[in-house]
Amino acid sequence: MTTWFHSWRAAVRIARRDAWRSKGRSFLVLAMIALPILGVSALDLTVRSAELTPAQRMERTLGAADARFSDPRTGGVAILQDPEGEMHTPAGDYDSPGKSWPDGPTDVTKAIPAGSAVLTDSSGSAKLTTRHGLLQTEVRELAAADPVARGIMRLREGRFPEKNGEIAATTRFLESSGLSVGSTLTARGFDRAYVISGSYELPSDLTAEQVNALPGAFLAPYAKAVEKAGLSKPDISTTYLVKKAGGFTWNTVQAINAKGVLVTSRAVVLDPPADSKVPLYQKEDWGTYESSGGADAAALAAVGTVVGLAMLEICLLAGPAFAVGARRSRRQLGLVGANGGARSHIRAIVLSGGLVIGVAAALVGIVLALILTFALRPLLEDYMGQRFGGFTVRPLELLAIAALAVLTGLLSAIIPAVTASRQTVLAALTGRRGVRRSNRVLPLIGFGAVLLGAAVALYGSVVSDQFVLVAGGSAIAELGVVAMTPALVGLFGRASRWLPLSPRLALRDAVRNRGRTAPAVAAVLAAVAGTVAVSTYAASRDAQSLAEYRASLPYGAGAVLVTEEGGRDVPAVRDAVQRTLPVDVRADVFRIAVGKPGCDPYGEGAGCGRFEVVTPPANECPLWVSTPDGSDPAEKYTKEQRRALAKDWRCLSHDGNGIYVEGGLLVADAPLLKVLGIDDPGAAKALADGKLLSFHRPQVDRNGAVGIKLITDPKAADRAVEQNKPVPGELKSFPAYQVPGSPDSYGVQSVLSPAAAKAAGLTTVPLGAFFSTDRIPSTEQRQKLDAEIAKLGSNVELTVEQGWVDENGLVLLALAVFAGLVTIGAAGIATGLAQADAEADLKTLAAVGAPPRVRRMLSGFQCGVVAAMGVVLGSAAGVLPAVGLRLTEEREQMRFYQQALDSGWGGAGDAPPYVPIVVPWETLAALLVAVPLGAALLAALVTRSRGALARRAAH
Amino acid sequence: MSTQQQQPVLSLRNLTRVHGSGATEVHALRGIDLDVHPGELVAVMGPSGSGKSTLLTIAGGLDNPTSGQVFVEGTDITALGIKGLAALRRRSIGYVFQDYNLIPALTAAENVALPRELDGISARKARAEALAALAEMDLGQLADRFPDEMSGGQQQRVAIARALVGDRRLVLADEPTGALDSETGESVLALLRSRCDAGAAGVMVTHEPRFAAWADRVVFLRDGAVVDQTIRSDADSLLAGRAAQL
Repeated sequence: MTTWFHSWRAAVRIARRDAWRSKGRSFLVLAMIALPILGVSALDLTVRSAELTPAQRMERTLGAADARFSDPRTGGVAILQDPEGEMHTPAGDYDSPGKSWPDGPTDVTKAIPAGSAVLTDSSGSAKLTTRHGLLQTEVRELAAADPVARGIMRLREGRFPEKNGEIAATTRFLESSGLSVGSTLTARGFDRAYVISGSYELPSDLTAEQVNALPGAFLAPYAKAVEKAGLSKPDISTTYLVKKAGGFTWNTVQAINAKGVLVTSRAVVLDPPADSKVPLYQKEDWGTYESSGGADAAALAAVGTVVGLAMLEICLLAGPAFAVGARRSRRQLGLVGANGGARSHIRAIVLSGGLVIGVAAALVGIVLALILTFALRPLLEDYMGQRFGGFTVRPLELLAIAALAVLTGLLSAIIPAVTASRQTVLAALTGRRGVRRSNRVLPLIGFGAVLLGAAVALYGSVVSDQFVLVAGGSAIAELGVVAMTPALVGLFGRASRWLPLSPRLALRDAVRNRGRTAPAVAAVLAAVAGTVAVSTYAASRDAQSLAEYRASLPYGAGAVLVTEEGGRDVPAVRDAVQRTLPVDVRADVFRIAVGKPGCDPYGEGAGCGRFEVVTPPANECPLWVSTPDGSDPAEKYTKEQRRALAKDWRCLSHDGNGIYVEGGLLVADAPLLKVLGIDDPGAAKALADGKLLSFHRPQVDRNGAVGIKLITDPKAADRAVEQNKPVPGELKSFPAYQVPGSPDSYGVQSVLSPAAAKAAGLTTVPLGAFFSTDRIPSTEQRQKLDAEIAKLGSNVELTVEQGWVDENGLVLLALAVFAGLVTIGAAGIATGLAQADAEADLKTLAAVGAPPRVRRMLSGFQCGVVAAMGVVLGSAAGVLPAVGLRLTEEREQMRFYQQALDSGWGGAGDAPPYVPIVVPWETLAALLVAVPLGAALLAALVTRSRGALARRAAH
Repeated sequence: MSTQQQQPVLSLRNLTRVHGSGATEVHALRGIDLDVHPGELVAVMGPSGSGKSTLLTIAGGLDNPTSGQVFVEGTDITALGIKGLAALRRRSIGYVFQDYNLIPALTAAENVALPRELDGISARKARAEALAALAEMDLGQLADRFPDEMSGGQQQRVAIARALVGDRRLVLADEPTGALDSETGESVLALLRSRCDAGAAGVMVTHEPRFAAWADRVVFLRDGAVVDQTIRSDADSLLAGRAAQL
């Protein structure tokens, strides 16, 4: 043991000084290993620092209070909750048929123990006036300056409100609104003005746009004002911060749960009860949500594979650099041998090179990560949108990351070390060159791995549908190709006889010295294979999504819809569209309102209702009709019947593209048809005649009419649906015109003219506009419109159909650039290695009268040859897994399609899935031609055409 | 000489070395017998291709003979494996080459200590031994210099110190003065001579009759065979004649 230690010390000393002597090469390898280590350690530090301890979490949620009481809206029935107060459910059994789910508010104050200090924390939203327009903002009423609330909001400037006329705002709100401390703040439709007294932030949500007022100072008067204007008032939710001597134990929390109140208690979170003491977890389907062991193993395997492949790539890149070092110092290694260094000592010296660089890289990477994370902490916090709990350093994790660096260094140096130790001392001392034989077993193992991996991947893609098998098989096969590289490089040598002198010399030299060529080629291969695999897969997916793309509207057309506040902002929005976009035809659209016009669609407020377009029972798809006992109607049919029904007109579902509008119904005039591209002359006439245009055949009854049911009491309607009874409500019937053929109506199922709606006594409110454009709006125009809409502070749904947009382009480009850089790097290292070897050849060439540029050309071709071989092999190795993956996907989607047909699921009548395989020829061409050419030119440029004279082999 | 009665440090018995086979067959050594005793410095001379360097590499275990035996301090090294040979080079044999003898990454003292450290001796002890060896040869002032901070002669003298550090008793020197001017060469040979006088055994390949004069015995090789041997007393006269013949 000590013997081993002492001789390693000598080896490390030599390696350390050698690394220092050849600073350029050492720096290159160090950077290669240190950069990923820097990234991973910075990530670890950031993630760990962002993780909060339970105490920090509670400080941010509860301030100095002991608990937060909130209303779970279960009508006061006893509830069960988890210790964190995040999940809850009524304690009794409300799932059985005939029982209705408890609903409604609970009076939380009754559950607050007497003698506690209580703060209310209410929030609602309001449209606040900003420098630029209006901004929908959360208003939070909390006495933030109270000692009980301390820690929830962090004051940045000024002070928290002390009077009813004051308000504090988050820094993010001040940024977006253009206001500052001291400004006056107003809300739309509300005559009070507030002075901004200070700014604050929520430490766990830095992006929150929020303002803070004293309890009762804003929300209640605002709600009153809004309601007076006939609009639906904002929802206000109130929780209670409670401080009580002794806090709230789990038993107390359960007792409060019995009163129907949800509690987040500091004491319980800091010292959570055992799962067995949490009744919620004992309830069916409410067990703790822990990821299964299988999922963990799969995630671990995925991370392991990525880390492994990254390490392999670094080793393949750094390995040749160590080989260059070993080759340059072969005389030195020979001397060690002459002085009694055994093979193990030689190995130790070269391996120590890896050790030294690995340790240095680990140190540099981690120290830089510590410095950067510490220095950039405010930026990182902004980026993550939350303040760190502290600067958390987990030494064990950093040590593990450091170990990865050291391991990578050592692994990179293994093959050069073994190669160097195999040389005889005599050969090393005399500088005798010889063709170094590559290992003969490795290519055989590689070939075996390729066969095995290909078989597994083939099995995965053709027989089973498991992605894991395809990916795993491809990974094995790729490692096999890497192992086979020396043999494959040999095959390239056959092409050399047809080449002119410089490329011939370069190729022969590369092939004769496979030991140094192969790792570089393998590094290029691995990077290119990955890139080509991802590019091929992504290009295929792009082709598929292009084929599957369903436009929301005709090309160039748009829709802008506002449903809130009874369409109050619609005229302004329509104007904004007209002003900013190159509008050709504009069709103003309206919707039917049931109850108060200020209600939102599906609004639940008092006096709000909704409507339904009725499907006559005869037209309902037999596979989907509701049955009295709640059973699946499709079970009554055989598989063949279901397949037949799937193609039945009653069952053809709307395929989900287009613009969503309530009930599929729009109130509009003929221009809408023009925007939607409906050119049936009968349609415009029917609309003008007061008929309802139908694009959805099942809604038209036997008499050619469509019924619209006005539901004034949505709760009664819900109950009726639950009990499978007819829905109460007034039915209006309209003669319908079913538009012939089945033109794409982009989600619109029926159109009614405003005049017809009015004649039938329906109330309509403005909804927005559909429009067609002269040309596709430019990005500037889109941005301008977005800004105009933002000023209104309304919730506006804007769609402009621009056709299918390729979203992967940038990623693919980045990948190709990455592969190109790796290729050039690896080829460059291999060229350096070849140059170290070729000094004698170059002298001979010079002696027989070769001009100096031959030296440049040779090194250029050496670099190009390595790059070309790697790129060719990598492209071949990369296309295959992508194809395998696509085949698996196709099988899976076909299986799903067939299953859908068999079961009679919705949408089954659509076309079978289309899973194309597309090879990205542009990327391949760039990699195959441009990258080797670039590498060759670069190498030729940086090579000196005159060799350093009298440079001795030993140094 | 009295050393003749002691057991030889190096014995070559009927040593043959054939490079290649068939048409490329070259007989580098043909049946060489040679004994080198403690305190004795043997010079090997001969024209290019006579087998001088081959003799030295086989004697040091860097190359294997085709037939015959090599005994170093009584051990038949032809029977040893790679590890055994390496250990032998650490403990018994020191090499001095024409130039670039020292490892550029190590100081003089570390270079001298290297065989001992490789042998698993602690760094401190190995350094102490190395400093002692350097001091003994008046090289103490060079201990912490790197090779590129020393002159060629200094490097060669440090190499001799390394060749004899620890228990090593056999120095094999291949043209140790080949890259030096004659004055420096003389000083290097004086050191080698003094180490042999102190009890080491030395074999030195040279083609300079001037330097061969420092030897106790001169062995002449031609086409792989010993053509003549002479002891020091009549070496001078013989050298003059041989040099003319060669």
